[in-house]
This record gives sequence, C-alpha cells and structure tokens, in this order.
Amino acid sequence: MDDGEPLPSYEGLAAAFAKAKAQKEKEEAKGLRSRTDDAKASNKQGELRFKASHGLLIAFFSWILLLHILGIYLFTSGFLLTRLVLEQKSDCADPPVAPTKSFLPGSPDAGCWHPKTFEKAVVIIVDALRYDFTVPFRPSNSGDKPHHFHNSIPVFYETAVQQPKNAFLLPFIADPPTTTLQRLKGLTTGTLPTFIDAGSNFAGTAIDEDNIVAQLRNASKRIVHLGDDTWHALFPGYFEPNLTRAYDSFNVWDLHTVDNGVNEHIFPLLQPSNTSKWDIIFGHYLGVDHAGHRYGPDHPAMSAKLKQMDEVFRRMIELLDDTTLLVVMGDHGMDAKGDHGGESDDEIQAALWMYSKKGNFGRTSPAYEKPPLTAKDRPVAQIDLVPTLSLLLGMPIPFNNLGAPIEEAFVGASGKDFENLALVNRLVAAQIHRYQHQYALARGLDETARSTSLSLWAAAGNTWKSITTTKRPSQKLWERAYGSFSAYQTETLSVCRALWARFDITSMVHGIEILVVTLVILGMYSRGLAGDRTDLTPALLLRGVIGTALGVLIGSVLGFGIPSFPLEHTLVFCTGVGSVAGIASAFWYIRRRLTSPLPNTIWGWVSVIFTLALSIGFASNSFTIWEDEILLQFLCTFGALMLVSSFRQIKLADRALGCYHSVLFIVLTRAASLSRLCREEQMPYCKSTYYASATSSTSAVWQLAIPFFMAFILPNIIRAYYKGTRSYQGSALLWIDFALRTGLLLSASFWTMDAADDGDWFPRYGSLLKTSKIILAQIVFAIALAAGYSTFAWAGPLLSIETRTRTSAQEVEDPSQQVVSEGGSSSITILGYANVHGSRYALLITMWLLAIVIVQKPMGGGAIGLLGWQIFSLLEIIDTNKLSDSSVGPVVLGLLGSFYFFKTGHQATLSSIQWESAFIPLRTIKYPWSPLLVILNTFGAQILCAIAVPAVVLWKQPPKKKGLLGDVAKAMGTHLLFYAVINLATTMWAGWLRRHLMLYRIFNPRFMTGAVVLLVIDIVGIFIAIGGTRLSFLSVAEVFGWN
Amino acid sequence: MSSTTTITKAAKARPAAAPIEVLNNDAARLYTHIHPVLLFALYAIQFKSIVADPVPALIQTLLPLSILQILYVSICLPPTGSGSHPPAAKPGSRKKPGANKADSGATGKIIPAFLSLLLSTAAAAPLIAITLILFGAPLTTHFAHTFLCAAHLSLLASLPLVYVHGVDGERWREIIGLLLPIDEVFGAAIGTVVGAWLGAVPIPLDWDREWQKWPVTIVTGAYIGFVVGKLVGGMLLKGRKIVFE
Repeated sequence: MDDGEPLPSYEGLAAAFAKAKAQKEKEEAKGLRSRTDDAKASNKQGELRFKASHGLLIAFFSWILLLHILGIYLFTSGFLLTRLVLEQKSDCADPPVAPTKSFLPGSPDAGCWHPKTFEKAVVIIVDALRYDFTVPFRPSNSGDKPHHFHNSIPVFYETAVQQPKNAFLLPFIADPPTTTLQRLKGLTTGTLPTFIDAGSNFAGTAIDEDNIVAQLRNASKRIVHLGDDTWHALFPGYFEPNLTRAYDSFNVWDLHTVDNGVNEHIFPLLQPSNTSKWDIIFGHYLGVDHAGHRYGPDHPAMSAKLKQMDEVFRRMIELLDDTTLLVVMGDHGMDAKGDHGGESDDEIQAALWMYSKKGNFGRTSPAYEKPPLTAKDRPVAQIDLVPTLSLLLGMPIPFNNLGAPIEEAFVGASGKDFENLALVNRLVAAQIHRYQHQYALARGLDETARSTSLSLWAAAGNTWKSITTTKRPSQKLWERAYGSFSAYQTETLSVCRALWARFDITSMVHGIEILVVTLVILGMYSRGLAGDRTDLTPALLLRGVIGTALGVLIGSVLGFGIPSFPLEHTLVFCTGVGSVAGIASAFWYIRRRLTSPLPNTIWGWVSVIFTLALSIGFASNSFTIWEDEILLQFLCTFGALMLVSSFRQIKLADRALGCYHSVLFIVLTRAASLSRLCREEQMPYCKSTYYASATSSTSAVWQLAIPFFMAFILPNIIRAYYKGTRSYQGSALLWIDFALRTGLLLSASFWTMDAADDGDWFPRYGSLLKTSKIILAQIVFAIALAAGYSTFAWAGPLLSIETRTRTSAQEVEDPSQQVVSEGGSSSITILGYANVHGSRYALLITMWLLAIVIVQKPMGGGAIGLLGWQIFSLLEIIDTNKLSDSSVGPVVLGLLGSFYFFKTGHQATLSSIQWESAFIPLRTIKYPWSPLLVILNTFGAQILCAIAVPAVVLWKQPPKKKGLLGDVAKAMGTHLLFYAVINLATTMWAGWLRRHLMLYRIFNPRFMTGAVVLLVIDIVGIFIAIGGTRLSFLSVAEVFGWN
Repeated sequence: MSSTTTITKAAKARPAAAPIEVLNNDAARLYTHIHPVLLFALYAIQFKSIVADPVPALIQTLLPLSILQILYVSICLPPTGSGSHPPAAKPGSRKKPGANKADSGATGKIIPAFLSLLLSTAAAAPLIAITLILFGAPLTTHFAHTFLCAAHLSLLASLPLVYVHGVDGERWREIIGLLLPIDEVFGAAIGTVVGAWLGAVPIPLDWDREWQKWPVTIVTGAYIGFVVGKLVGGMLLKGRKIVFE
C-alpha cells in the first residue's frame, strides 16, 4: 500500500527529485493529474499490451482444452464398449440348418424357417412399464400400503390367470443402458447394446444391422407405426406413410399428447373393416414414462395414467381378431423417482405380456400357471422377443440375434409340445452359431475364446443326431434336445457379454498418457513458474502450437502411410505427443523461471492433500458413493483451518473478520448439506430432501418459499459484502438491489407457477400458466445475461468521489477510501478504492448466479443462493488471511463446486440428469439451447465456482497492482488443475477397474461426470471467467490508466 | 503495511509461552508413560460393549476415563499458574480461584483438576458436539451418541489443556490458533482431534462391520490420536512451533 508518511529527512537533491517524481506518479496513478500526450500514448500502448496478453492467455488455455479433449477422446474410444456390426442379413430361403422332415422352408406365407403361428401382430410398447406395476400388490411387511403405481393396470395379470392359453405375463429384463433408443435397438435386433451407443441418444441414427422390422419389410409386410418418433430415426422410410403417425418424444412434461394420438389412430385400424390395410402395427405409448419423469411413480398422475392404459388394452382385446397376436411390453422400468438410464433392478425390470385368441400358449409346469410375483422369478431377456416374434410370424431370425425363443409361446396349449420347442431352439441356436462364426472371422478372433460354447454346440449336435436316428423320439428326448440347444444359446450369450466388454487397452493407455502430461504442463504453468505468467505465455503457446502442428503432420503421415495404424488413433496420439514435445522445449527455453511446483506452505499442502485424498478415494466404490459427505467434511475442515489461521492474525480487525467468515463458511456448508438427493446405493443411510418425497420429482409446497425468501435476503447479503469496502456505488446499486432482486423474484414465481401447473391447482388455466411461466423464465434469462452483460460491459468501476470538510484522522485510515487531495478545510475522497477490481469483477458472479438459479428446482435454487453467499465469504477469508497467491482459494472453489453439484439434486449417475430443465424457458427442443440448459442445470454449481475464481485474486487488490492478469491465469490454472486431477483419477480408476462388478453402476458414471465437468469448466473458465476479466480490467483502466 | 495500530501492543507485552514440562518427580515421570497404557486398556476392555450398544457403554466409560485423566493431570502436570510454569504467573491471569492456592500440595492439584473436569464437560463438550454436527454428524437423530462422543473428546483433549493453561482468553487464542510450542499436552489435544477426524474415514466403506456405526470409529480414532499425539508431542516434536506459511 501507499506510504502516507512523510520521509523523515531529505539528504541532497537526489532525494528531493525522487520524492517529487514519486509524488507525480502517485497523483497520476490516482487519475487526477492531467496527463501529457506522451502519457496518453503510453497508456494506449498499455491497453494494447493488455489486450494482446489477454488474447494469448485465452489461446493458451484453449490449447490446454484441446489437449484435454484429445486425451479424453482417446481414452473413451478404447474404454466404452465396441462391437463390430456385421452387414449380413438372414434370408428367408436360407435357414441356418437343414430343415426337418415335412416342412419346406423359404416361403413367407407358410413361414420362412418354421411354420408360422400368426398372420398379423400388434406390438405395443408402454414406455417404462415396470414389472411391479402389472402384478397385484403384496405387502412385504404387515404395515405396507400399496403405492399409486400398484394395482392400477390389472388387465395383464387378470388375463394371464383367467385365460392362461390366451395370455401370459413375464418379467422382461432390459440390458442397460436403459434408455429408449438403446432398448429399441435391442428389441428389434436381438443384440446386446454397447455403451458407445449411449452417447448418440440425443440424435438417434438408423439401424443398419439386420433386424425384425427390416425382415418384415423385406417380406413386403405393411408396417404401421404410431407414437414415439425415435422409431423414425432408427427405421427411416420403413413404415406405411399414410397410416403412420409419429410424435415428439422428448417433451417429458406432456403426459397425454402422444398417448391420445396413438389411441386416436390405433383403434380405427383395429376395426374389422380396416384390418386388411396393415400386417404389423408398432405402437409406442410414452405417458407412463413421462408421468414417471415428471411426478415419480408414486403420484396420482401415475395411477391415472396406468388406469387409462388398462382401459386401452381391454378395448384392444375386444377388437382383436383370431389370427392376430397382441404383444405389450415395457422397454425398461424406472427408479424410485421415475427416472431411468442406469442398471438398477427397478430400471431393468420391465413387463412382457402376449395375448391371442388362438389359445395356443402354454406352461411347461403347473407351477408356472400364474405370472411370477416378482421380477426375480422366471424372467426373460428383452432380446428374446426378436426370435420369438420372428418365428411366430414366420420370419427369418435376424442375423445378429442372441436371444432365445420364449417357452410359453411355443410349448403349446398342453404345455407338452417339446418337439416344437426343440425345433425352434435348434433354429435359433444354429443361427447364433452361424453369426458367431462370421463374427469370429470378421474380427480375427481365435476359437479358444468360445471353446466352451463350441463344445456345447457339439453336444447339442449329438443329441439331435440321436433324435434323427430314432424312429419315434420320446418326449424326454425332445426335452433333452431343447435343453442342449438352449444351453448353447445361454453360454454364447454370456461369452458375448464378456467379449463385448472388451477394451482397447492401447487407446486407453495413450489417452491417459496425454491426460497425465497435460496435467504436468498445467501444474508447471500454474504452480511452477516464478513471476508474471503473462510474459511467458507467448513463448509457451508458440512452441506448443508448433509442436501440435508437427504432431498433426506426423500423425496424418503415419495414419495414412501405415495401414496397420488406425488413422484416428494415430492422428490424435501424435497430436498429443507433438504438443507435449513443443511445450517441453518451451519449458526448457524458459528454464530459469521454473520453480518447484510442490507446495511450500501449509495451505499448499492442504490443497494437495484434499485433491489427492478425493482422487484416491474414487478407487473405492464406497467413497465414490459418499462423495457428497466427504466433500462436506473437507470443506468444514478447510473452514476450521481458516478459523485457526484467523486466530493467528495479528490485527484484531483481520482476526475478527476472519473468524466470523470462517464460522459462517462452516455453517453455510452444513446448511447446504441438508439438501440431498440420495443415489440408490446410499440407501438406507440417506434421506432425500430435494423433492417432496423419495418417490417423487416434484417440490413440496414449503420448498416453494425458499426462492422467495432468497429473493429478499440474498441481494442484501451481497450488498453487505460490497458495502464493506464502500464499493456499493454506481451500477451496483441498480444491478444488485433492483435487477438481481427482480430476477430472483421472477424465478421464484416461475417455480410457484410450475408447481401450480404440476399439481393442477387451477385446472381451467392450465395452458395460460404454461405460457406465462415460460415467458417469465425467458425474462429472467434476459435480465441475467442480456441486461447483466450490458451492465458488466459498460459500467464504470464502482467508485464514488466525495468532497467534504476535513474529517478526523481515523477515517483516513480506512483503506477502502482514498484521500487524494487535501487542501485547506476540505478533502476529496474516492470511496470503494480498495476493492475496485474485486467489486467490479464480482458483478459477473451475481449475473451467472441468477442464470443458474432459474434452472434449478426450488431446493437447488436455495442451494445456489447459499453457494453465492459462501463464495463471498470465501473471498473475505482469503483476503483477511492474505492467501490470494496460494493455491487454496481456487482448490476450495473446486471443492465447493463439486459439493454443490450434489446439493442441487444431482449425483454421478445417468438417471439423476434433470432433462426437464431443457423446457424451463422453451416449449420444445431447440438446438443448441436445450443441451446448454441441461448443462447449466447439471453443472451450475461448478460453473458458478469457476466464474468466481478470478475474484479470489482480484478481491481487495489495489487498482494499480502489477501482474494481476498473471495472477488470474495462475488461479484459473490451479482451478483447472483440481478438475484435471479428479478427471485423471476417475479415468484411471475406471480403466483399471474395468472388470469390476460396479463398473457401469459407479465407476463409469463417475468417470463420465469427471470428464464432462473438466471440459465444461475449461470452457467456462476460459471464455466466461478469463473473458470476463477483460471487461472488468478495461473498465478499471478507464479511470486508473494502464501504467 | 500502513501505519501500525495500537491493538497489538498488549499482546506484545506478554511473554512467549514455553512448552509444558512434566513435573520434576519420579511419580510424574513414571505415570506419564503408564497413563496411555491404562487409557488404551480401558478402551480395549470397553470396546466390545461400545460396539454392541454405544450409548450405555460410552456413559459407563466416562467415569473411569475422568478418573484416569484427573490422575494424570494431578500427578504429572503443573496446574495453571503454578511455579513450574513461570510465564503464566501474570497478574492478569489470576482470575481463577483455584489458581491462588496452587502452591500447596494435593488440594492445590486436585481442585484445579476437578475444575478442569467441570469446565471441559460443561463448556468444551457442547462446543465439540456442535462442531461434530457441523462436520456432518446426524442432525436430527443420534443426539446421545454425538454428545457422548463429544464428551469423550473433550475429556481427552481439553481437560489437560484447561488444567495447565486455565481460562485465560489470550492463551486460548494461542491454543486455537495453534501458536503454542508443542508439548505432550498440546500434542495429545491435536492428536485427539486429528484422530477423530481420521476416524470418520472408514465410516462410508461397505464392509458391513458392526464397528462402523456412529460414533465408534470417531471415539477410537480419538483415543489412538491422544496416545500418538502425546508421545510425538512429548518427545519428537517437543518445543517446535506450527508454522502455516
């Protein structure tokens, strides 16, 4: 700070001159003395210099982002399962084994490989029809009461019990991921899903594998599709255009449009006069799924929806003719909150019900007469539908099928027709065998991988031989043949499951190498350089980019030149290596400025230990599951250490302020921790409070008060932090007190209207509510980003100049105001001088806070409000403990961001993504806004913390401090370093534990979260946070100049 | 820095604290080593019943723990304001009634020891309980568990501290600010806190062990931490100061 004291004595002219010069500089610094033209020119130069180094900084961090993308891409391409898609199609005239006795294959009219049973079929998918919805409720404890989803759709169970020859109901187990697109692929091709497909869910692509829809079309069947439009992405042009009706599938807030549309068109087609117009109908109802997403299963809306479906199927049964098969199934289930995507029991247990008036369904045992009580008994796999439906309709089995025929459909009404069962299983097994053979050829696999299944195949062949040589094979013999073919199918399926969990280790290792080296670069840049980073950035960037370019060149030469090198992989890896080589030469070039990146204070060690402890913990599934509680303890520990440190401060004011804010920090952390959304694995030790109850996804009425309360309190709290340094001046008045408060109030009203709409409080004004709440949300966004950014871009520094009569000496001591001119009895003071950088930049935090609050549920909005408060208290703690240069500020912001991720109702699982947030300010899906909204909702906490990072080094810094931009770069580098370490750790653990039982439940979702967070924070940190400093620095320099 | 204020003057006038020495007699030197063994033995005997049913077992353990701690401080440590700890003998710190008669034999030790017991259960234990809840202990359930855990922590950590340092505000600022030189009392207190902190680590693991229940691991960590901290503080790091920067 300035030395206000007069020099004790002057010795000679030199001292006098120096003093005069210092005085002049001081006055110029305060922007009061008029400058000469020279000064103006040099000021202009300073501005240019700043803009140049700022641009280079952004370029450098973007280059780091590129390396992160390369590393993550390379790892992901080797890690997420890959399966070769074979082009072969099954042919009606070409059965996989020689036909038996009397039956002549090859004609779709009689049946391609096997005599057909049904002429036509109506195949209905009720999205998310969980098995326990369809069976009667049985209390497991005496006190249990049925939930809303129980006993609401009894039609399936009733018919299966009362007319067992006409209907059966079975649990229908989905292969995860349990998303509709993946399920439709499995249900039509009969193959296992691969994880790489999960990424393409937002933009589904056509299926080019052999599948039942294509087979039906080849046989010139007329196929009608009604409902979910995902089908059209998968099977473009397959359906009868004049009868088919598709509906938008992603508007999860709309429970009825799709269902009513399907009903409107399906019943006319079922009338006897119209049945000649079609051969197959695929119907897809979405209401149950949407009711689950919007309300959760235990809600009256779910009960109503299921009852409606019940009625629909009763009507269908009435209309059905004798030669038509009716199949109803769920494509997946839903978890306790009504979401899906993962592999928990509730998500994979769907229901399958088949009905026909022919009366040829049977059971192999009288014990199987009634449908299973739980989905654990006698389940069938979803891929079993493909061979079953194909053979029943006389179609060839799709080439890639791995499923087995469903027993009930082939065993005959007597339950004793094992001959038929053996025949169909033989066909299926033979097709699987043919497929496996082709797959092994195409992939270059050796036979040892499937030696057990091959021996089973040989055994089944022997059994078959004994049948063909026997004159009148006994039922026992047929049963044995059935058993042996089905054993081959089961074994092959399990071999394939293991085989397609294959990983490309080279890609994974190369990806991790790139990530490790990038981490080292980032670590050296942010913690291992002495002095101002901005003057080293050009050299680093230049050499890095040259290296990258060389890498691209070498990579493409190698990739194109050497056929055995996969092009993509080679290109990506060489680019990475080239970049690293470039930066290594740059580090050599600036070696004099390198220092040890290891911490040398207790705070440095705290940051390192917190980060490493968390990273090591991700190797354990328990610590991954309980990440939220671990973060709570770490943050409280940080608060406690800060309390200790504050007690060490010499100045009473620092001590008091530090203690107050440290305790506040701990209390706020604990208060926020009360908002929880438990993941399934945390049960029963966790109680969700995020929604009204554990089985709903709507807010309770009392939770609606939280945003209103926040709208009144939060602006006052932020104002207090500004007033502490007299920075509550100029635009801050209008922005914080008026705009922010209005925005928060509007956001609170939005959520109240949303609850009114959800709960149907005003049935007659439903559409009015919908329209107005969307407009409200758009206004909030306009306030936050449009009005906010204009304020942020154009406002002057938050200063005010006051002239007053001489005041007591004490007030001059206050660093927040600067006395710049004293003459006679009056003085001129600048209020807000001490925190001109921090207060100016922090406006950006409040704008984004508003934009994030609106996309969070009421509870999450409250949590983000607490986060905002905590960020400001952290800034004060960092300042009173003089830690703005330490790594602890950016790292604690990383911990805070990760902690509040959980407090805004998220978990590191696919099913906890709040997709409905895409519809807060929009009515339909709009690219790119809808994905951006979901990102803002999911990673809002991390985004807000990343934006706050520059404030850590800017808070209460003198306006003319040198090298502030370098400090910003250092802090942001450290913040990114935190996420990069977490990402690297989760990546390595996921790769290392790739055979772990919990890979897809725990480690893979955490890896994906870590990777996405890193990329999001890279982008936010570069363009919003560092980008934002440009505006605030320019604004401060308007007044204080560049030199 | 801008011109100094006068606030720090008072603090400057205080003499710097010296590490606490164990009393200079054979009983003290011997018992200070026996004490951790006895503590461990007590905890080991009680461990099974604490795991089986924490609340009654922790209550039962409180009495022997208090007796052991009182024995330890009155046999081994100089009470606050006593002659063996000259810097504390300031007129300003003579607010405690017990401290005035510190010179005279057994009563001069037993009374401060009981006062320390009273203070650490009445004042320190609730504070520690609040801290535990802030750090994530259950908010709405398990009150008895949490409070008993806090009581154990305070008997281990704060009783000896109160006994040797009294209730002087400035001295307690130094204790919380970790500004005192390390000795066996301070080391044991820090060890207790660190041990309790580390005790939280195994709770989330899915090992399904009975002993993972609240607050068994915390209390166990605290006992281990006390013993380790006392040893390390009394021998290895004695006289060192904790540096933050």
